[in-house]
Amino acid sequence: MLLQLRNIFKWVQQGGQRVFLLKDINLEVAEGEFISIMGPSGSGKSTLLNVIGMLDTFDEGEYDFLSESVHTLKEKYRSNLYKEYIGFVFQSYHLLDDLTVEENLEMPLLYKKVKGSERKALVADMLDRFNIVGKKDLFPTQLSGGQQQLVGIARALIGNPKLILADEPTGNLNSQQSEEIMELFKKLNKEDGVTIIQVTHSEKNAGYGSRIINLLDGRKI
Amino acid sequence: MFKNYLKVAWRNLVKDKTNTGLNVTGLSVAFAVAILLAMAAVFQLSYDGFHTNGDAIYKVVRTEQTPKGPKVGAVQPAPLAPALYSEVPGVKRIARCVEDGTLALYKGKEVSMDVIWVDQEFFSMFSFPVRNGNDKNPLENLNSVVMTKDGADKLFGSTEVIGKTVNLLVNGEEKPFTVSAIADNILPQSNLDFQIAARFESHNEYGVSKEAWDRQYHAVYVELEEGLAASDFEKSSEAFIDLHYGEGIERLKRDGATADENGRFINLKLVPLKDVHFASFKNGFVEVSRSGPYLIFGIALLIVFIACINYINMSIAKTAKRLKEIGMRKTLGAQRQQLFFQFWSESLFVFLLSITIGVVFSAVFLSDFKSIFNTQISSELLMSPVFLIGLLLTVFAITMLVGGYPALLMSRLGTIQSLKGKLESSGNNKVRNVLMVFQFGIAILMIIGTLVLWGQIDYMRNKDLGFDKEQVVSFPLNGKRNSHDMVALLRDELNGNPDIVSVSGSDSNLGLGKDGSRSSSGIGFEYKGRIVMTNFLVVDNEYVQTLGLNLVAGRNFESAGDSLGVVINEAMAKELGEQDPLVSQLEIDDGVFYPVYGVVKDYNFRDLDQEIAPMTFFMSRQQNLTYGFVKVSPANMANSFAAIENAWKKLEPNAEFLGSFLDENIDRTFRREKTTAKMITSGSILAIILSCMGLFAMSLLIVSQRTKEIGIRKVVGASVSSITYILTKDFLKLVLIAFVIASPIAWWAMRSWLQNYAYRINLSIWYFVAAGALALVIAFLTIGTRTVRAARANPVKSLRTE
Repeated sequence: MLLQLRNIFKWVQQGGQRVFLLKDINLEVAEGEFISIMGPSGSGKSTLLNVIGMLDTFDEGEYDFLSESVHTLKEKYRSNLYKEYIGFVFQSYHLLDDLTVEENLEMPLLYKKVKGSERKALVADMLDRFNIVGKKDLFPTQLSGGQQQLVGIARALIGNPKLILADEPTGNLNSQQSEEIMELFKKLNKEDGVTIIQVTHSEKNAGYGSRIINLLDGRKI
Repeated sequence: MFKNYLKVAWRNLVKDKTNTGLNVTGLSVAFAVAILLAMAAVFQLSYDGFHTNGDAIYKVVRTEQTPKGPKVGAVQPAPLAPALYSEVPGVKRIARCVEDGTLALYKGKEVSMDVIWVDQEFFSMFSFPVRNGNDKNPLENLNSVVMTKDGADKLFGSTEVIGKTVNLLVNGEEKPFTVSAIADNILPQSNLDFQIAARFESHNEYGVSKEAWDRQYHAVYVELEEGLAASDFEKSSEAFIDLHYGEGIERLKRDGATADENGRFINLKLVPLKDVHFASFKNGFVEVSRSGPYLIFGIALLIVFIACINYINMSIAKTAKRLKEIGMRKTLGAQRQQLFFQFWSESLFVFLLSITIGVVFSAVFLSDFKSIFNTQISSELLMSPVFLIGLLLTVFAITMLVGGYPALLMSRLGTIQSLKGKLESSGNNKVRNVLMVFQFGIAILMIIGTLVLWGQIDYMRNKDLGFDKEQVVSFPLNGKRNSHDMVALLRDELNGNPDIVSVSGSDSNLGLGKDGSRSSSGIGFEYKGRIVMTNFLVVDNEYVQTLGLNLVAGRNFESAGDSLGVVINEAMAKELGEQDPLVSQLEIDDGVFYPVYGVVKDYNFRDLDQEIAPMTFFMSRQQNLTYGFVKVSPANMANSFAAIENAWKKLEPNAEFLGSFLDENIDRTFRREKTTAKMITSGSILAIILSCMGLFAMSLLIVSQRTKEIGIRKVVGASVSSITYILTKDFLKLVLIAFVIASPIAWWAMRSWLQNYAYRINLSIWYFVAAGALALVIAFLTIGTRTVRAARANPVKSLRTE
């Protein structure tokens, strides 16, 4: 078991009333799964993903990640936990514009305090694996969307995470680029055994996964 | 990791050139100016700090409770010092000194020099290092003198002059002295200044004043035994005072003086050596105020403060642009401290760059600064470890605070919010607004200060002083000839020149001449059973008409021999309290009565910070005149000046002619005010420029942040002017609040400053209105250009960019 959510609630106060963003979510994710979260806009997909990624907090319920109780951890340990085991991929890539491709890839390793020589090797490996060695000195703005997302995925993978969380990873891409990215995810899941949870609108993309979770108004259906 | 920070910092700085440029320029200039100002202030504060025994040395002053209130006398009678030394316990060393100028002669060369007449303990008390010659006790012999290196150079053209003989003009006679030692040049931060030091006993006054307790003409410095507090000494001197000043105390009691809180009428007070430069006796007690240098420090700090506010505001405003980065870094595992350190190191980078440029700037403009503000900065001070460490610590503290605050804000942002690009910014705006109010408050405060200071200076320059300052030339009578003869010879020489109106002399200058020395004398005598005090001026018979003084009663001196009476001013007439002052007979010398010939209208013979005091003119061949005065006609003033100089050259070929018009002399007396005014002016100009730079950068950011709003407003039909109004009004409101806060503070500060002047301007409301309007207009122009451009932009374009 990689992670387990039990009775998760999240709400905000609005005009004296509780508006629920997540309502009684129960979820178990085993290692090696490829899960797609689907649902209309505002159904809580991204919120759920952020809660799983520990970027966001929740108000009630329990969350175990690799048998650590996340809800009892302090921020510092939480950040250590996700920096170690989780990689994030975003719809708008979120690469740092001021850094080159190579430096973007290197950054997570810096925060994990990986040594210089090892860092170089890992980055070189990753550039090689994604066939972007020639682009390593370019800045994100000099790349196409598909290439930027490729770098985004490479950056998520470089820390060798157990779990990849992808928030509409193909939302800004055209169909051909989308297909390439989804194939890549499938390959990572199958060959490298990386657990993937993605948020998506597209039935087609959801089809790449092994399980689909549908959300409506913060509730699992 | 750190390399990575630096890289990101550098790219960020390069990417946003306008912002970086504004920040670095502002900070560098502010640092440069602050360094210069701080050095000037440190220099002033270091006055007399170089004496190794300085903590034990005091200047002895005497406070007296007169019927008109307390008075402080800094000059003492000759017998006081020896008596103090032998009768009051705790005196380790004591020295009398008179600072004076006299003519030094060597092989036909005549040089006027600053002379200090001192007791032999002088060189063991004070740290004026003697390098050559008798360094144990250089003034052991009565005819020994010590010369400074530049003094020796000026007279002998060499510093190898031990044992040579120099003649000094004492009371009109040349007297030979032997150079016994050479001292280092006097440091600029020394209050005691001289080129020659001679024995006190050789001063011309000594012969007649040796035993006289009522002739006060010199300063006394005392070095106390180790561990003895000044207050203890003052206490134990009370019996001494009662013994030697008994008669004076009786007279004060008789004339109706009230005793001080301890029931005493005359006290000795010790002013610590380091306070002497900052001490004022004007109000009848010893006031030590270092407000001048602290004011300069304050300006320096305020300027840095303003530049720092710019930096903080711009950094916070820029946060919006870096939200994505912050969020991303957090999702990649950056911890709060790491983010803090990253942003802080960026600030450190900017600050180090600015301080480096600032130091270079200040070094480049050092000499200009010194001459413009006529201040001294010793270069040793620049290199002194205390100054350097102080500078480093200050910079570190500033970087910590100024760089730290935005860094703290940024590192505390929530991950999701920053990734979504949302800023909970209401709190930040409040901080920003408060800081900007501060900034403009300071700027407005300084502008008001500038206007009021110049107003007062202008007033002092143009005030009718009661004498003719435009057409009178004064010059020190620093030649070898007898001063009375010299005035007569000059009169003959200039006779027949149609542009020369009259020639006269007195023993005190008006204002501050080119020789830079000032003196005043006063006497007190019994008049109808009480003591009357008056200033006392030795003049020659044409003084009144030469200076254009108006006689209100009686007559002037009629001829050079008409010396059995005196001419007084209105204040003196009032002091005498007679219906008709012309009937008064003044007992100026014991047993000799001088009738009052005439009364002149009051004129400002002292600086404008003091009321007009009683004055008595007196003619005597026995007492030397020290300054000549020549009145010229308004036509051909330059020619007339040249004619005077030529006549001087002819009569005193070896002495330097240091003539100047009296209005120049008067201007010189408020050189200090002018320096302060110049500093505040440049401070306020800098303050307003820096504030506007911040405002400008702010308006750029605000406009870019509100592009969408502007677009929407235009689409629904807002006019250019209404949009400009919306964008500008928030800032102008801040300037107005700043004005409301700054005005009362400025009013209070300027009012207390003006209290120093007996003759002063009214604090009219217009000074405040003008400053406020100026700040408002400048602020409007700064933001206006940007906002108008934004308001005129095509809305389709601005909406698309969102």
